[in-house]
Amino acid sequence: MRAPRSDNHNTTLAVVPRSTRRRWWRPQQRLGLRSRVTFTFGLGALVLSATLAGLTYFTARQFILNERQTAILRQAYVNASLARSSLRSSNPDIAQLLDSLDTVPGSRSVLELRGQWYATSISVGETALPSALRKLVLLGTPATQHFALASTPEMVVGVPIPSLDAAYFEVFSLDELSRTLRILALALAGAALVTTLAGAVIGRWASGRVLRPLAQVSRAAETIAGGSLDTRLVAKDDRELSALAASFNRMADALQERIEREVRFTSDVSHELRSPLTTLATSLGVLESHRQEMTGRSRHALDLLAAELRRFQHMVDDLLEISRVDTGSAELSLDEVEVGELARQAVAAGGAAGIAVDVHPSVAGVRLSVDKRRIERVVANLVANAEQYAGGVTRVAVEPSPAGVRLVVADQGPGVSPAERERVFERFYRGQTAGQRGAADGTGLGLSLVAEHVRLHGGKVWVEGEPGGENRFVVELPVSTADGQVRPSEETDAPFPSGMLPAVDGPSLSGVEGDPVGRDGGDELDDRTQPDRRSAPVPDRRSGPVSEHQPDRSEAARAGPETAPKAPSP
Amino acid sequence: MSSRILLVEDDERIRASMRLALEDEGYEVDESGSGETALDHFADQPSDVVLIDLMLPGMDGFECCRQLRRMSAVPVIMVTARTDTHDVVAGLEAGADDYVTKPFVAKELAARIRALLRRTRSVDDPDLLSFGEIEVRPDEGSVHRDGQEVHCTRTEFRLLCELAANPGKVLSREQLLDRVWGYDYFGDGRLVDVHIRRLRIKVEPDAANPRHILTVRGMGYKLAV
Repeated sequence: MRAPRSDNHNTTLAVVPRSTRRRWWRPQQRLGLRSRVTFTFGLGALVLSATLAGLTYFTARQFILNERQTAILRQAYVNASLARSSLRSSNPDIAQLLDSLDTVPGSRSVLELRGQWYATSISVGETALPSALRKLVLLGTPATQHFALASTPEMVVGVPIPSLDAAYFEVFSLDELSRTLRILALALAGAALVTTLAGAVIGRWASGRVLRPLAQVSRAAETIAGGSLDTRLVAKDDRELSALAASFNRMADALQERIEREVRFTSDVSHELRSPLTTLATSLGVLESHRQEMTGRSRHALDLLAAELRRFQHMVDDLLEISRVDTGSAELSLDEVEVGELARQAVAAGGAAGIAVDVHPSVAGVRLSVDKRRIERVVANLVANAEQYAGGVTRVAVEPSPAGVRLVVADQGPGVSPAERERVFERFYRGQTAGQRGAADGTGLGLSLVAEHVRLHGGKVWVEGEPGGENRFVVELPVSTADGQVRPSEETDAPFPSGMLPAVDGPSLSGVEGDPVGRDGGDELDDRTQPDRRSAPVPDRRSGPVSEHQPDRSEAARAGPETAPKAPSP
Repeated sequence: MSSRILLVEDDERIRASMRLALEDEGYEVDESGSGETALDHFADQPSDVVLIDLMLPGMDGFECCRQLRRMSAVPVIMVTARTDTHDVVAGLEAGADDYVTKPFVAKELAARIRALLRRTRSVDDPDLLSFGEIEVRPDEGSVHRDGQEVHCTRTEFRLLCELAANPGKVLSREQLLDRVWGYDYFGDGRLVDVHIRRLRIKVEPDAANPRHILTVRGMGYKLAV
């Protein structure tokens, strides 16, 4: 990280914590890119369609109003001249005259003749007319006016007939016209709304299309972070996208090469060490068979040599094992075994032959699908750990657990302090008690390998016990379901016991998803030749604590050897 | 007369130390630094067991093993630095009977050699075992299919005898490892799988659809009569 310089704005910004900086952003920028594009498209469509709708409305309104007004005026003048010619005759019947005038629906006539008012409608008479207009017309000026009568829009045309001292008024209702204009406005507003929505939808769709490659990049990066280093993007025909894919793939290549080189180095070193180790071990074997011919001092030297060589060998073996886990080339070679038998054999092979294995009756006969070699190493490493740091193994038990079965290896203590309970599973971690006992035999990798082996099986390992008292190293292994697949455990509210090592971080191994090997309907050859030695899909570390779920403890108890889950027959 | 072992290993010091260890166990040891010289040597002076390192300069251990198989059914143990599935299975496919991983303990290697030499035949075998068109004569060490002799290595033969002596009975990998290879609980099941595959190619009419040597999923193998 660059050192902050107080006078430089950029640098100052760089040291502002992300959460603080975000507060300065405008609200719109808090939205995702896709929402922003959608918003912008919608806004653009709104402005455009509203402008168009407004223009359309006002133009249409102007045109319709003009047309109507012209028609109204023409009719009023025609009617006024009709009235004039009728009134010229002697003794005119004014009511009949008004009725005979040519009117359109909604128009009403009012006639003033020498101070007398006549109307065709009760509602529209002398008083209903706007007084300003009335006065103006009575003074001899023709006039028109818009006004509201009982809240309906009206237009009145007043035509003076000075020769007869009369005035003709015609009141037209504009109600229909204003209704038409309202409907037009509504239709236009609706169209604008639809256009806005369509704009937003198109924006969302287009941004989705544009962002899809980005989502692919993100997924690929996620997969790589999860350990599948050979993940690459497929270059598309699109020029910009293929450039993105190419640079992403170049980055992934570089990353993969670098990681693999580091891991290969460990593996290569370990392999190269094997040749001299073979010579050493073989020669030492020859020397040991000639032990009787040696003096006491030589024998002592030989014993030292033998002990250190064994430790050296273990270290190389452990390093190789670790590098295999790191490269993801670790494969489980699964066999179905009865759990009690597995524990007994592993304890015997692990160098604690004198220790009886206490198998809980409810799990006796339960069969596990495990890599026997790895479980043997797990037990051997736990036994060795107990011997080196905690006075040896006192008890080995197989117990039921909600997630499967637990293999418990207890020692004499002193107990691992709570603060160290997770750290003891780290590589080359030496606890406080290291150095007190026969710790010189340890490789520093034993417990971390235990964790790796157990994780490959989809199980968990942790250490429990009281400080100063005994340690109980607990290995929890899932019981295979009927179809031989690992079922993810159901999330429980219960917190992990202190010191539990949920399998997280680090590279995942091959065949996590979509790997047909070992699944139902696996390839034909495998079915026939290696029916129950499946190369099992290894649980992904990213998925957090992985363990198999066993439905019911009592179910496991009832499941004798004959009902125990088995691999499906071909 | 002690058994002769041919040691094919390019690392001179490993070779020297192995010679010392094997001679201590009472074997006569011949050495070869490469696959090519080993084949020549074997043609001149056949050995009872051949140890082949997989990583050899020039002709590698796999090829050396394959060529040796064309000449002889001699027991072959491959020595590998890698326990990776690929190397072990490839070595067994090339015709090896067993394998040891570097660095090995000389006693363990000697035990493997003894097991290979011992299992030529067991005393309680009957004179003739037959199933379908296959006839196995344990005393002669011969296998005939439809009257035609089938050439098997000793390990394949021993495996076939075990299966044929228990017709219809399921034998687990552990049982077969114990009886044929002399391994205890933690033997490598791949030994059995690869040898079963090779045996099927030799005795089954159609190795892809075996009629005699059947796989019992999750349990092991059995011979169907």
